[in-house]
Amino acid sequence: MRRLRARRRPAGALRAAMLAGAVAWALPAQDGAAAGRPARIVSLNMCTDELVLRLADRDRIASVTWLSRDPRNANMAEAARAVGVNHGLVEEVLADRPDLVVAGAYTTRPAVALLRRTGVPVHEFGVPRSIAEMRAQITEMAALLGEEARGARLVAGIDARLAAIAARRPAGHPRAVVLRPNGFTVGRGSLVDEILTAAGLDNLAADLGIESYGQIALETVALSKAQMLILNDTPGGRPSLASEVLHHPLIGKLGARLKLVALPSRLWTCAGPSVLDAIDLLAGAAGKTR
Amino acid sequence: MRRAGLRPPLMPLPLLLALLGLALLAVFALSVAVGYAPLDLGAAFRDLLAGRESLPALVLRELRLPRAILGALVGFSLGLSGAALQGLLRNPLAEPGVIGVSSTAAFGAVLAFYSGLSASVALALPLGGIAGAVLATLLLFILLGRGAGTTTLILAGVALNSFAGAATSLALNLAPNPYAALEIVFWLMGSLADRSLDHVLLALPLMLVGWALLLSTAPALDALTLGEDTAASLGVDLTWLRVRLIGGTALAVGSAVAVAGAIGFVGLVVPHLLRPAVANRPGRLLLASGFGGAILVLLADTALRLAPIRPELKLGVVTALIGAPFLFSLVDRMRREAR
Amino acid sequence: MTVEARALAVSLGGKPVLQEVDLDLRPGELLGLVGPNGAGKTTLLRLLAGLLPPASGSLRYDGESPRALGRQELARRIAYLAQGGDTAWPLSAEAVVGLGRLPHRRPFAGPSRADAAAVERALEACDAAPFRDRPLGTLSGGERRRVLLARALAVEAPYLLADEPLAGLDPLHQIEVMELLRRTARRGAGVVVVLHDLTLAARFCDRLALIDRGRLVAEGAPAEVLDDERLAAVFGVTAFRGRHDGEPLLLPWRAYSSG
Repeated sequence: MRRLRARRRPAGALRAAMLAGAVAWALPAQDGAAAGRPARIVSLNMCTDELVLRLADRDRIASVTWLSRDPRNANMAEAARAVGVNHGLVEEVLADRPDLVVAGAYTTRPAVALLRRTGVPVHEFGVPRSIAEMRAQITEMAALLGEEARGARLVAGIDARLAAIAARRPAGHPRAVVLRPNGFTVGRGSLVDEILTAAGLDNLAADLGIESYGQIALETVALSKAQMLILNDTPGGRPSLASEVLHHPLIGKLGARLKLVALPSRLWTCAGPSVLDAIDLLAGAAGKTR
Repeated sequence: MRRAGLRPPLMPLPLLLALLGLALLAVFALSVAVGYAPLDLGAAFRDLLAGRESLPALVLRELRLPRAILGALVGFSLGLSGAALQGLLRNPLAEPGVIGVSSTAAFGAVLAFYSGLSASVALALPLGGIAGAVLATLLLFILLGRGAGTTTLILAGVALNSFAGAATSLALNLAPNPYAALEIVFWLMGSLADRSLDHVLLALPLMLVGWALLLSTAPALDALTLGEDTAASLGVDLTWLRVRLIGGTALAVGSAVAVAGAIGFVGLVVPHLLRPAVANRPGRLLLASGFGGAILVLLADTALRLAPIRPELKLGVVTALIGAPFLFSLVDRMRREAR
Repeated sequence: MTVEARALAVSLGGKPVLQEVDLDLRPGELLGLVGPNGAGKTTLLRLLAGLLPPASGSLRYDGESPRALGRQELARRIAYLAQGGDTAWPLSAEAVVGLGRLPHRRPFAGPSRADAAAVERALEACDAAPFRDRPLGTLSGGERRRVLLARALAVEAPYLLADEPLAGLDPLHQIEVMELLRRTARRGAGVVVVLHDLTLAARFCDRLALIDRGRLVAEGAPAEVLDDERLAAVFGVTAFRGRHDGEPLLLPWRAYSSG
């Protein structure tokens, strides 16, 4: 079956470089990768699960991870329940007789190595650190699955929404800080950082010099001149110490001074179209902050 | 006939307690002054006292003060119960961490927390810790009878610590929340980070009862120096003494562990350091060890905030770094004296 | 105060240790409890001190039962000196003696002047004042024993019950302790002593109670209790008798062989 080449938007030099980097970054599949459309796809990573579920037909998916079945954590939970489930174990994977395995960069190394040794085509995807990388990953996954058309549609949808949000974005950049379980925040050079920028917010943690993921003390959050505090938690979650800091009484008391926004983690845990929902939510909140 | 022999430098107890109290206030102030972001303390205090809810006052009242208060309460409980256990078991190696009471308390608290019970009934958290601590102390007294030989004591402690650690890990793995499995470090090593006034209010009432029970054993512990029969002949009710000690330790340590995790070695180091200052009297050592424990915990907590290590060290790590070599040297000394 | 024991019996670990013991304690008298090893002397002493509840029989202090009297009151009336002599913590001699005042301490109160005076008297009586500030562990065996005895004297109780206070002491201190106990009895206290040394028992005690295999075999003046027949039957020895310096001398001499 002839592969349709995806139509690329006219790219500047920077874009091309980033695309090349993204493609090079996703490690190349082994020789013997499936040409044409794979019919038994196994995904070993919750984020690749989401992309696979969005792009491929149900009957071509052998299994996705069990994590994707939880609607609290995953965006395609219902779809995930309609296909097979795996727990990331090599035996399970082999039992599915896959002709393509997609894994994340954090899938256990021994499992990936073992699968490769048995001759199964394994394709690894990294964690996108920007929206551009995210779009490139969608395109790459679509090509891998033989669903270039769907991939292009998804990317186009993302671009359209981004443009719409940019158009409505009010002037002024409210200062925002993200608080995640265990007191982690999101700094420069991460996908979330770009999401904040796209929503028209100024990421305080980036200003404080935090790179990627780092911890921020509650004190610092309180004493910073933030106008918005984005609380990143799993709603309806079971008790854990990690989320206790997000319910600290101080945060409630800060509500008088800054806007508290609850953002479910699942919206931006994986780099997929749900990220746009996050940007939407934040842009809306930013609009209400003066 | 006048006094021959050396007169030991015995500080009157009130003077010792006053000095310890002053030191505690100083260290408390230091703990409040140290934080993660620059805070205008003067303005914060003024605003707090005037009832103004400015940002500095909020940070002071919701973050810095609770952390310092909790550190003092936890340290007092650990120091006091260490001294009491050593007095009862007549063994300088007894303390809630070494003999396994803290880790079983952590297990009880973990059950209460991750099952969601403490989300609906807040008191379930310290009660869980207390239940765990009671289990350990009861088990120990059944196992050891009275007056524990060192080897038996340490072995019982190893057994309890191993069991409690494993049980806690299992409970965390079975907990519904995926973060839980990683949180064992908090429960076994303790931390005062991000604690709130809620935690203070949760732990305080039961701790106070525990302190009262433990402090009341002072004369009995003095008498126990001469052995159980002599103590009984001096009017000590041995059964009631053990009840007060088990109950008091469980209440104080259980509450402390439930809100701050298992912090070890405080009850070992502090009584040992202060014993010469009270002329080895176990009764006098109790209150002094309480203050000493509070001072030690606050110092350790301040030190780890000042240390340029991120992620922040757990409090139990710092106390273990001080306490484990200490324990080593204690054991070595006991071994040499036994020869 | 009178102490009356009637038909006392006690079992330890299922085995009967004492049976049918009737004994009265009187003030101003030095009573010796003698008998072979394992006869039950220490058990009887602990019973009399209220440290052990009897399985049957009655024990009355001035007509009252121990429970009616209460723990504190009993502690003020009976001072007990246990066997052995180790303290768990290295307290100074004075501090150890001070512990004897605990039964008289009011709750939450510190030592009073009366307490300090009693401690002084006890230290002087036992000649332990020279080492009042030294930790017990640095004293010799005899000195340590004197300090512990001073602790018991500091209670200033009507009765002093001492369990083998002479164990491990050298001859000088053995004699000194017995003289001290006799003086204490003369001053009006009732003193009961568990002794192994029959010579000292016969010489110093006003009355003896002979315990053998859990039973009170004889009771009365030393000469009556430790007659040849009893010495042979209970201890399996014969003795040399005499007087010296006006005091009775009883010296176990040879193993008894019948026939």
